[in-house]
Amino acid sequence: MKLFLRSFTAATLLFCSFAGNAQAAGPIKIGVPVGLSGANSVIAPAVVQASELAVEEINAAGGILGRKVELVIADDGSGAVGAQKAFDSLIFKSKVDVVIGMETSAARNAALPIVSRGRVPYLYTSFYEGHSCNRWMYINGWVPEQQSASVVDYLMKTENAKTFFLVGSDYAFGRGVLEYTKKYIRQSGGTVIGEEYLPMDGNDWTAIISKIRSSAPDALISCTAGGAPNVSLGKQIKSAGLSMPYGNMAIDEGTAKSMGADASGMLFSSSYITTLDTPENKAFLAAMEKKFGSGMKTPNDLSVPQYDGIYLYKAAVEKAGSSEAEKVIAAMGQVSVKGPRGVIAIDPVNRHAALNMYLGQIQADGSLKIIETFENVQPGPQCLK
Amino acid sequence: MVFLLDCLTTSALLFMVTSGLMMIFGVMRIINFAHGAILGIGGYAAYVATARGFGPGYGWALALLAGLAAGAVVERLVVRPLYKRPLDAILATWGLGIVIIQIIVMGFGRGVQFIDAPIHGSTIVLGVSYSAYRLFMLPVAAGTSALLFLLLNKTRFGTKTRAVIMNEELAASLGINSELIRFLSFCLGAVLGTLAGALISPLFSVDPYMGIAWLTSSFMLVMVSGYSFISLMLTCLVFGAAQVVISSFVNPVLGGMTIAVLAATTLRLRSKGFSRG
Repeated sequence: MKLFLRSFTAATLLFCSFAGNAQAAGPIKIGVPVGLSGANSVIAPAVVQASELAVEEINAAGGILGRKVELVIADDGSGAVGAQKAFDSLIFKSKVDVVIGMETSAARNAALPIVSRGRVPYLYTSFYEGHSCNRWMYINGWVPEQQSASVVDYLMKTENAKTFFLVGSDYAFGRGVLEYTKKYIRQSGGTVIGEEYLPMDGNDWTAIISKIRSSAPDALISCTAGGAPNVSLGKQIKSAGLSMPYGNMAIDEGTAKSMGADASGMLFSSSYITTLDTPENKAFLAAMEKKFGSGMKTPNDLSVPQYDGIYLYKAAVEKAGSSEAEKVIAAMGQVSVKGPRGVIAIDPVNRHAALNMYLGQIQADGSLKIIETFENVQPGPQCLK
Repeated sequence: MVFLLDCLTTSALLFMVTSGLMMIFGVMRIINFAHGAILGIGGYAAYVATARGFGPGYGWALALLAGLAAGAVVERLVVRPLYKRPLDAILATWGLGIVIIQIIVMGFGRGVQFIDAPIHGSTIVLGVSYSAYRLFMLPVAAGTSALLFLLLNKTRFGTKTRAVIMNEELAASLGINSELIRFLSFCLGAVLGTLAGALISPLFSVDPYMGIAWLTSSFMLVMVSGYSFISLMLTCLVFGAAQVVISSFVNPVLGGMTIAVLAATTLRLRSKGFSRG
């Protein structure tokens, strides 16, 4: 009897450890909530492609800690309600090990309580207005502290601008970025002589353009909702014949290029541009081209942080030696990866990353000229208590 | 001076965008909620033509053809069975608008498309430099309203149309083919819509939802102005100017709401709005 009991215990132990191994060998699931429908669906395909490439590369190189990586994509409908559903389904139904993705600020704020409840690491990969903090969240996109300064500095030093006019769409990102920009202009000794907003879906900038004209600022800075409002503003500024230097905080390289002459002279600042001359960026673009061919969506300042983010997670899991949420969160702040944008490391307390920022200007033929590179720009205090 | 030009060009844009809706509402008593989507068709017609290297004139011609085709098909398949049920027609055209927009999304994607403007930059008028394309909208709107006025008041078609507007049964009993009049008016309304879409595209962005932003204002303007193009022109001038005044001197966010608020107030005080009689 004693012998039987002993062998039973041994067998149980053996079984348990075997089961434990089997579980450890299961795939690591990465949840990506993204706007496959709605306003973000213009940008979403590039984000999905970047995720697919990262996962394919990681799996080809043996996975994370020997485990395969699996991508779970959920449509968030580009809005807060859709994001709640997407996060719910990723965290509680698909039981993902981590959520990595971009969201609008409203959607991110709506989803954060779900992340806290589900206790999974969340890597937020979008640029945004700053100061969003959560125990489970790390952020590798830029905040206004990193972006505005480069544009304002250039306008003040090179274009000798003293007076500024700020134009935006009336929502968290537009207001947040311009609020910081205004502060920064004042600190630097400039004056803001006008600040105007249109509703988020507003396209008719007529009255605001007349105000800009009559106040005749040295420079113009805008931060509108992406797509239609931004494009209309650019076109209407050009057709009104306004020719002061113009910094656009919310434009991406692809849109600026396709606007062509309407965007010529426009300044923008970003943590990624496709023409970066680094081996990592060239390898990344070549891999994208090889995998997606003519269907490749131009990588941008949302899709590349997504790619970085997946590698950051890999590094954190490897450092922690486990995909357990608490351990990954602790390790995430101690790792760094070298990606297309350069070395990315997120501060464990401040939860944001120092980034290389690139100030670019659109030329008349639609090509892009990098005016200045700012290395290792700090995000400033974001989540420091 | 710039302020005056802002008022005038805003009114001209409003008139262009609203006239198609007005044409359909005037004759049929149906609010065509697909009007926003029809503006989108016009924008995309202009995009298709210019993207293939044709001039803006071809864009306008293509928009005209697209409007004619869309108007004819929609009238026969969707609107005609619902003449006697105007409330159902609102629902049907609303749904139709969603369908058209989704078809545009399937064909061209959700992204913003770009059209090269036929007239670039600004020009000097009366001592101020002003957007040349916006100025170009002034004669276009004036010409359109003159043509519509002549069509409705000086032609046989116009007389018949006005007869149908005033008393359809009586007109029909006098041998006027009211069904044909309705069909032609709907097509004309759709054509005005697509042309407006093509005309505004160089100033705004071309995307599947481009017309939606205009729908509320156009609807309000039509409600206030009744059935006459003269009163529509007057309404556009007054409300367009009001919008510019509020946007310039108070706040552009409030400016966006001006037309809706003014229209509601006007209708509350005078239920006939700006229409005579």
